[in-house]
Amino acid sequence: MTVHNLYIFDRNGTCLHYSEWNRKKQAGISKEEEFKLMYGMLFSIRSFVSKMSPVDMKDGFLSFQTSRYKLHYYETPTGLKFIMNTDLSVSNARDTLSHIYSTLYVEYIVKNPQCMLGDSLQSELFTSRLDAFIKSLPYYRAA
Amino acid sequence: MADEALFQFLHYEVIQYIYKFPENGEAENGRSITKLENMGFRVGQGLIERFTKETPRFKDELDVMKFVCKDFWTCVFKKQIDNLRTNHQGIYVLQDNKFRLLSQLSAGKQYLEHAPKYMAFTCGLVRGGLSNLGVKSIVTAEVSVMPACKFQVMIQKI
Repeated sequence: MTVHNLYIFDRNGTCLHYSEWNRKKQAGISKEEEFKLMYGMLFSIRSFVSKMSPVDMKDGFLSFQTSRYKLHYYETPTGLKFIMNTDLSVSNARDTLSHIYSTLYVEYIVKNPQCMLGDSLQSELFTSRLDAFIKSLPYYRAA
Repeated sequence: MADEALFQFLHYEVIQYIYKFPENGEAENGRSITKLENMGFRVGQGLIERFTKETPRFKDELDVMKFVCKDFWTCVFKKQIDNLRTNHQGIYVLQDNKFRLLSQLSAGKQYLEHAPKYMAFTCGLVRGGLSNLGVKSIVTAEVSVMPACKFQVMIQKI
């Protein structure tokens, strides 16, 4: 049971934050290309899901899984996107992601006058609290 | 609480505004800090009138300082000052270990050089409050490790 990595994107596609805890295999491309790939893929999936949905859509795209990992997606009304890759034992990470948004992002980034909107997240306080929070999750275990 | 976030955001915007539009010949840091402190002075004067509407007269200076540490700080920042020290000769040091306006900024040394800007308004607040209670003073602040900070109050004997 573990969390592999976490991406935070703003509404323009800029990657504000990325951290990894348990990543065994790299993507083979540079970090910038990886962020662009991730954002582009999510954008396409979301529009695909809303177009092809056979019933009225409620939340839209939530997650996808492969035989080894699961990707969870959470978007705030302000366009901030939180993406977390975990292993398969985590069924629903929406509460975790929304907790990260409300208790960590809003408290330590939005309320920090030195952090400008649109810049990558520099605050060490945010990074250390995020790290502590992820490590305290019941489904985190350092591999 | 909604009003706490409102004041914090407004405070940050005031600081940004003062630093973005210096008037002619005011490029140095010192003048902007003075402006912020004077703003705090006026606010402090008004606030102390409201908060002491029903309190009896203060016995002496130490009593005034204790009031500032307990009731005044609680009304403005929802907590008390953690430590008050004095040399009984007109110098008081108020220590707050988790200053509300700095606690979201950092938890250590990051952004330390920006910290004085955020303390200036509160220094003025304390000075204004004291002046309206009849105590003339000079208030300075120092920060070494956020979010703890110390306010030093030097009483001026007229």
